[in-house]
Amino acid sequence: MSFFMSLLLLGLVLGLIVVASNPSPYFAALGLVVAAGVGCGILVWHGGSFLCFILFLIYLGGMLVVFAYCAALAADSHWESLGSQSVAATMLVYGVSVGVLAGGFYGGWYESSWLTVEEFHELAVHRGDAAGVALMYMPGGKMLMIAAWTLLLTLFVVMELVRGKNRGALRSI
Amino acid sequence: MSPFILATLLFALGLGTMITFASSHWLLAWMGLEINTLAILPLMAQHHHPRAIEATTKYFIAQATAAAMLLFASATNAWLTGQWDIQLMTHPLPVTLITLALALKMGLAPMHSWLPEVIQGVDFTTGLVLSTWQKLAPFVLLLQLQPTNSTLLLALGTASTLVGGWGGLNQTQLRKILAYSSIAHLGWMTIVLQFSPSLALLTLIVYFTMTFSAFLMFKLNNSTNLNSLAISWTKAPVATALAPLVLLSLGGLPPLTGFMSKWLILQELTKQDLMPLATLLALSALLSLYFYLRLAYSLTLTVSPNTLIGTTPWRHPTSHLTLLLSTSTVATVFLLPITPAIVTLFSLLGT
Repeated sequence: MSFFMSLLLLGLVLGLIVVASNPSPYFAALGLVVAAGVGCGILVWHGGSFLCFILFLIYLGGMLVVFAYCAALAADSHWESLGSQSVAATMLVYGVSVGVLAGGFYGGWYESSWLTVEEFHELAVHRGDAAGVALMYMPGGKMLMIAAWTLLLTLFVVMELVRGKNRGALRSI
Repeated sequence: MSPFILATLLFALGLGTMITFASSHWLLAWMGLEINTLAILPLMAQHHHPRAIEATTKYFIAQATAAAMLLFASATNAWLTGQWDIQLMTHPLPVTLITLALALKMGLAPMHSWLPEVIQGVDFTTGLVLSTWQKLAPFVLLLQLQPTNSTLLLALGTASTLVGGWGGLNQTQLRKILAYSSIAHLGWMTIVLQFSPSLALLTLIVYFTMTFSAFLMFKLNNSTNLNSLAISWTKAPVATALAPLVLLSLGGLPPLTGFMSKWLILQELTKQDLMPLATLLALSALLSLYFYLRLAYSLTLTVSPNTLIGTTPWRHPTSHLTLLLSTSTVATVFLLPITPAIVTLFSLLGT
């Protein structure tokens, strides 16, 4: 458990460093997906099985489509991959700063503080995160309707912003 | 823009602010702010002009950063203290972070630099919405915070009044001047926020009234810089004759409405035994007054040389709705004598 958890946490930090160190969009998207996937793994070990299931399937599924489009639009001939000089230098800086910060907190974190949510991390019906979904639909139903309406609003906003081909906002000037 | 889309967006703009007003939970307050930001974006970019698109992008980035910071701070608060309630913030770290995030949302001084750029990129109506309605939701959240450290709000407020005064001095573009005026007024409001919330609300509403008439006046004259102000007396003589009163009211000269909020704030600060701060604020109002006076000078107090034909153009009946302008101008100029009634009204609202 300890080894696997450390591996996942290391993966999370590395993924975020890859995103932050400004490589080409392909690699940034890759880093984001790695970070999100590993984050889901951490959630599983902390007992949020259902939560991470939802996050991985729906949110990451949608995000992957968006990133495929972004990467296709931002195609460039000179890739800034992880090995290129500027990216590697930035990664080194971020890595060292994370190391220094972690060193500052060293000793305050230990394995027994890694608690699971409800003392076991198997998937079951009566769990915190599954009960949270029920709560969201029952007392938070009206808020859920507002949230759904906001998603629809976002669609209208995006369509209004990119409307009108060469007269619209997305054009070359 | 299709009227259905426009109605939807305006409805969402109202809904976002109302959700933030009604919420006692940070997540919901954040949701309201996000709905607000989303709904204003197409309104800002509706003409698809490059400047408008640039302003929209800047606005989106600033607001999204502030909203993410607010969400991070409230999640930290839930982590540290175990609750999400807005009025029960006890730990100083989330309170400070949230105060800074809201200051970024409103455009208070160290985080102000997006505001003049954004206001300059959009038209007067949208600029008016940005500098009035969009300030309400962050203001209400700021009002509900229990400040753990009084220096932060005082520093934000003082910096805003000074930057608002100094930044506007060198501008020739009206929308930028109005943006700096917005920064300065919000600074006054922030300073008095923790001593007297009802007075802060009064300052905000009085500022809304004054800036409403200033924006509408410039929109009526269709002038966006100082040069084109010089011929606006030929277009709308009565409005131009009243314009210096509106501008000096923004500057806070007695006996105009704008003096009310500055007067009461200075009185409150002297009651709190903050004499140096009160002096500094009163002096910073002079900086703002300088550029208001310059606007008034080129608008009304001087007549620039022109040809006979240039000074006597045809004056067609205006197609602008001037009812709002006239109402707000009257409120901007004449409200000082009923100060006691207004103070009582707002202290009743505050309780």
